[in-house]
Amino acid sequence: MAEKWYERSGEHGSVVISSRIRLARNLKSYPFPNRASLEQKREIALRVKKAIEESNSTLAGSFSFISMEELTQLQAVSLVEKHLISPEFASDRKGRYLMLSEDEAISIMINEEDHIRIQVLGSGLSLNELYNTANNIDTLLDDALGFAFNEKLGYLTQCPTNLGTGMRASLMLHLPATEKNRAIARIAGNLSKLGMELRGTFGEGSDVKGSLYQMSNQITLGISEHTAIENLKNIASQMIEQEEKSLEELSKTLEMQDIIFRSAAVLKSARLMTNDEAMKLLSNVRAGMVTGLIESKDYSLLNRMSEQIQPATLMTSNNREMTPQERDSARAELLRRELKELF
Amino acid sequence: MLCQSCKKNEATTHIKRVVNGRIEEYDLCPECAKKMGYTSLFSNFESEWNSLLGSFFGGGLPSRTSATRCKSCGASFSEIAKRGMVGCPDCYETFYEELLPSIKKIHGNTRHNGKFPSSSGRQLAIVNELESMQEQLNEAIARQEFEKAAELRDKINELKGESKNG
Ligand SMILES: [Zn+2]
Ligand SMILES: [Zn+2]
Repeated sequence: MAEKWYERSGEHGSVVISSRIRLARNLKSYPFPNRASLEQKREIALRVKKAIEESNSTLAGSFSFISMEELTQLQAVSLVEKHLISPEFASDRKGRYLMLSEDEAISIMINEEDHIRIQVLGSGLSLNELYNTANNIDTLLDDALGFAFNEKLGYLTQCPTNLGTGMRASLMLHLPATEKNRAIARIAGNLSKLGMELRGTFGEGSDVKGSLYQMSNQITLGISEHTAIENLKNIASQMIEQEEKSLEELSKTLEMQDIIFRSAAVLKSARLMTNDEAMKLLSNVRAGMVTGLIESKDYSLLNRMSEQIQPATLMTSNNREMTPQERDSARAELLRRELKELF
Repeated sequence: MLCQSCKKNEATTHIKRVVNGRIEEYDLCPECAKKMGYTSLFSNFESEWNSLLGSFFGGGLPSRTSATRCKSCGASFSEIAKRGMVGCPDCYETFYEELLPSIKKIHGNTRHNGKFPSSSGRQLAIVNELESMQEQLNEAIARQEFEKAAELRDKINELKGESKNG
């Protein structure tokens, strides 16, 4: 099996879990998905498939073409957990298709909100590289299919919130210290004035899961791809510096040291573990790695664990439906096995 | 319909998210939707767009639009407003005047700056690429990355040549 993108380590991996670039595109001569027939949707999908396969790019061979209707609900939800498709795309699968690269770094959603959503994922801070990849796929598809474009409004999208570049660039950030200092709301407020957004990722309740936050550009019309990415990177580098400094301070307290080592101990010995608990413990261990309290710097192992312990992904890899307790048991076992050597 | 979270405000957004291996659906008011961070990696601004169009609608519809339909897809502006989704690329021409106020509210801008597809005419693509590269060149100089700057300057000259010949 090919190495997945999240098994590679990336720049600033202490704070930046992953980067993502998404481009929204539509074909010129078809209605947008909300007014397109199933026949038209199928035709669009086959044209995208053909364009990728007939391109001379090295990419072509690594893609699989998936008709979403042929997946089980479980497989579809697992793709959401891995951030490869949206919940909407998984729940209503009729007329929807997916092209997925072997390393799961590139996914092309066909007939989601737009005809085409090109998404490229990478670990650490890697927006420029990801944009180059997305841009190449975009050019290749545009040459073959002809995208809807207007000089004034840019790329035309089903929802006007994506007009212009159609690009959403985002970073998944791990911010335990910033969160503890109650600085998130203030930063989020400032960011929104700059056309950017910071929001938590949520677990079962309304608590932010594992101190994970997503930062992205909100405005797509009137600002170039390059500038949007530079803005995001500038803010991110300030936040990384701040987070590392605060975490360093925090780790000097006995309370924080206790939390970190306790978390490591529980991960090593628990027999039942819920997803929310596991995410929280993994977050604490990551903080331990950043501050050097835990010697290893294997952030990519933690990233891989966070993917594999998600409920539907866990059941998919076990090839069966499981009760919540069976999942909690399998999750605990997986974590014990994989993290054994770590601390 | 009332918001399923606060049970006070009108629900305007239908959201889907994955919780514990299952897809769950909620009807939420904009405030609760925001509070719950209702998407993971996939931002979705439909709710804002809907409420923007809603308020725009409330102010009385210009008479022309209720009868006008897009020649390509048949959508009327009221259908677009109701769904919060535009019908087809040509709708942006047909309903340009009606859509513009909302677009301006969302982005603060109404003019594209960024990539031009080559299908829009190579000339346009070159003009835009030149602008973006000039921007990068200025940044490289400001950061004293002279090697990168020289590289960019060569590329810019090359493009300028192509632009003249094209
Ligand atoms: Zn509410
Ligand atoms: Zn139309």
